[in-house]
Amino acid sequence: MAEESILTDEFLRQLINVGEADILVGVPTYNNAATVGQVVQTIRAGLLKYFPRERAVIINPDGGSRDQTPDLVRGASINDLEATSDLQALRTLHSISAEYPGGASTGAALRTILAAADLLRVSACAVVSPESTTLEPEWIERLLRPVYQGNFDFVTPLYRRHKFDGLLMRNLVYPMTRAFYGKRVREPYASEFAFSGPLGSHFLAQEIWVHEVGRSGTEIALTISAITGGFRLAQTFLGVKPHLDARSADLVAAMRQTVGALFWSLEPNFSLWSSSHDSQPVPTLGTAPEVTLEPLRVNRKRLYEMFRSGVAELEPVLKSILPPPTLSELQRIAALGEADFCYGDELWARTVYEFAASYHKAVISRDHIVQALAPLYRGRAFTFLVENREASGEEVEQNIENFCLTCERLKPSLVELWNGKK
Amino acid sequence: MPLSQDALWYKDAIIYQVHVRTFYDTNGDGIGDFRGLAQKLDYLQELGVNAVWLMPFFPSPLRDDGYDIADYNSVHPSYGSLDDFKTFLQAAHERGIRVIVEMVLNHTSDQHPWFQESRSSRENPRRDWYVWSDTDTKYQGVRIIFVDTELSNWARDPVSKSYYWHRFFSHQPDLNYDDPAVREEMWKVMKFWLDLGVDGFRLDAVPYLVEREGTSCENLPETHAVLKEFRAKLDREYPGKMLLAEANQWPADLRAYFGEGDEFHMAFHFPLMPRMFMGLKLEDRKPITEILKQTPQIPPSCQWTLFLRNHDELTLEMVTDMERDYMYDQYARDKGMRINLGIRRRLAPLLDNDRRRIELMNGMLMSLPGTPIIYYGDEIGMGDNIYLGDRNGVRTPMQWEGGWNGGFSTADPESLYSPLMLNPVYGYQAVNVQSQKRFDHSLLSWMKRLLKVRKSTPVFGRGSIEFLYPANHRILAYVRQLEKESILVVNNLSNSAQAVELDLRPFKGNILIEMFGRNIFPRVGDLPYLLTMGPYQFYWFRLRRI
Repeated sequence: MAEESILTDEFLRQLINVGEADILVGVPTYNNAATVGQVVQTIRAGLLKYFPRERAVIINPDGGSRDQTPDLVRGASINDLEATSDLQALRTLHSISAEYPGGASTGAALRTILAAADLLRVSACAVVSPESTTLEPEWIERLLRPVYQGNFDFVTPLYRRHKFDGLLMRNLVYPMTRAFYGKRVREPYASEFAFSGPLGSHFLAQEIWVHEVGRSGTEIALTISAITGGFRLAQTFLGVKPHLDARSADLVAAMRQTVGALFWSLEPNFSLWSSSHDSQPVPTLGTAPEVTLEPLRVNRKRLYEMFRSGVAELEPVLKSILPPPTLSELQRIAALGEADFCYGDELWARTVYEFAASYHKAVISRDHIVQALAPLYRGRAFTFLVENREASGEEVEQNIENFCLTCERLKPSLVELWNGKK
Repeated sequence: MPLSQDALWYKDAIIYQVHVRTFYDTNGDGIGDFRGLAQKLDYLQELGVNAVWLMPFFPSPLRDDGYDIADYNSVHPSYGSLDDFKTFLQAAHERGIRVIVEMVLNHTSDQHPWFQESRSSRENPRRDWYVWSDTDTKYQGVRIIFVDTELSNWARDPVSKSYYWHRFFSHQPDLNYDDPAVREEMWKVMKFWLDLGVDGFRLDAVPYLVEREGTSCENLPETHAVLKEFRAKLDREYPGKMLLAEANQWPADLRAYFGEGDEFHMAFHFPLMPRMFMGLKLEDRKPITEILKQTPQIPPSCQWTLFLRNHDELTLEMVTDMERDYMYDQYARDKGMRINLGIRRRLAPLLDNDRRRIELMNGMLMSLPGTPIIYYGDEIGMGDNIYLGDRNGVRTPMQWEGGWNGGFSTADPESLYSPLMLNPVYGYQAVNVQSQKRFDHSLLSWMKRLLKVRKSTPVFGRGSIEFLYPANHRILAYVRQLEKESILVVNNLSNSAQAVELDLRPFKGNILIEMFGRNIFPRVGDLPYLLTMGPYQFYWFRLRRI
């Protein structure tokens, strides 16, 4: 029986009309009417300014929005039917929207973009978040140009963030991806990135789509695929990343999308990650923009309390995941007062590795393992906030670097755990 | 074949543009002549054209290829005599071919006796026949057209010790149309040729006839008044004759040259031409549909003239800076291909000698609304020589056969008015009429078929146009309609095969008949009409309800 296509007939019809393209910008959406209009208009401005001669298309896989999202995306089209006298555009720009089957899923949206890029034979494809309200036309160039010129296959962003923004990225996703796969990709799970046609086709052909990672956390799987596939990587400075409270509040979902996908990737890539012991920098393009960042308020006390209650309530679960010394150490620090609390680099790195090994061995439900890491991460985040309270941006970066080196140093312990020697 | 008696004959015309010098030399002096042109009329008839536009053939110092006229009432001796012209004219008419003569109204050569008199003294009766000034400060800000060679629109005359106005080369002083005597004299010139039997004039550089301080000195109401005066006289004394305007302007400015049907019968659609090339390169119909949407309606008796190439550069004056940069990069990467604000190349080299693109562009030329003009030699795919100066690279001798001088002349090759094309791709041994006549699939044979199909219906010359806007932007589709006859034209501007769905609901129940092969295509129903098209393919379908 033929496999069901990710592309609906209506979407395919639209792709036929687009035809072969040079550049594709994908904007996955689900009820993003509040921001997507501004985002696609900025994308259009970027394409007109920096790629006026290229055959470009904006593609919006939509998860079934009930607001005006698809209409707002289509409004960015430039064609000869509607007057756009205020625009200097050499050619038609299709901005198309199509609902993909199966309900909202970042993985299905990315797969749709990949399939479109493959069918349209694009040279360079960028994905932009519909919530990127700080998006500027220049971002489109910075993401796409290195790929379109044929110099790189995968370009991830470097954002200016407040030192306390992106805690999960700084304390877990970046250091661990770097330690596992040996590439210093600062935003391995990005909402804006660009990739080449060959990388897109390579990733699309992989067998991930029947797994959970094919629905959630697919972006980090793409990063890992780019690294393990030997594709040429680069990072480019964009600008300020908007801080999204709603997203940070749903920590478990974020853990599934990032840590879950990261742990999942270790299984098929064991021979690659187990044989590398250090990390290499990734070429960085452009210069960091000078911007003033808005202060960020984080409720430290709540993190601390959630860690303590998590260690207590999840003790049976943690027992099955962590070796006794680690669990004892966690219980010891959980008993400390807020002023004395410290979840240090080494203990945190060891904790994550032990969770990864338990995930591999599936000692309990893998999803429960990922969920169980959430309260521990909160404790780590608390320590990070306390330790860096007075630190400058540079000092924070140095502290992150130190933690990364710790992760790399301890990585052999993961290999041993993986192989069952511990 | 008698000439049509229809006063709107120009709407059904297919015009062949040729300089007598370039076509065929009968006296062995290396320069084409009217006797040669007359001898080749059978070729033109066979090709299928029914009008010839002759570029200036008057006595001239030839510093601007004849656009610097020194005597309006005669023939340059290199091209023959006035009697030779008359013989040619009669022979053309006998073959159903009308003759359109180019008339340069705006300026003369500085060797013209009128100018010699005018400059001789301030009291000369012809002093005011030209635009004189004691300073070069009048009409500041008026653009210079030949930016590559001219620094000012004024030139100082050492004889007269004053400045004269010239919009083109400095050896081409502008006539002063504020002087009634000039207008009267130029009408006499036109009468002279009309009395011989010519069918119309292509009036050169018409936007520049009158100057006024504080204006661009282009498209002025006073200029239109002069032109209307000529037209009124023409209609009164020579009904059925035609005026064609050369005005390289935006469509909105061009519209005024039609007046209310009381100025020009026809005008070149300059802005369309570069956009056809742009649309082809972009593989996008947008440039073409946009400029045609901006094109205003014209009076029913009037007509646009369309062309792909001519004797001048492919002008890029009527495009935006961004579009011009794109055109240069795509069609004239070698700076030697550029001149003024344009590209001095012929059709075939512009299209990389790609037969499919040449056919598609000619297909659009013949099916878009207007009267098409074919530049001599483009029907066989002649090349250009960008190493010749000015625009001479697109004015090389016609290539008739593979032998001596390409069959153009029996003179020594060194004595020809222009070097022949010699290179292995475009040279006369590779590209010539004789060899292409032998094969049904040659470009020449294909052009004959194209013209035959075009002439099989008046719809292309006289019908309305309505664009379809299929979602596939690589497809340019339109319906031409005249009374009950409808023709669907579908052009694939892309280098790859395309699928397109056309909304033909207004024609539900019609069957499509492909006009070249006369094959029947499926009937139009309720669903979008699906067509698949090969790279650069085009279709002309007659819509018939049977």
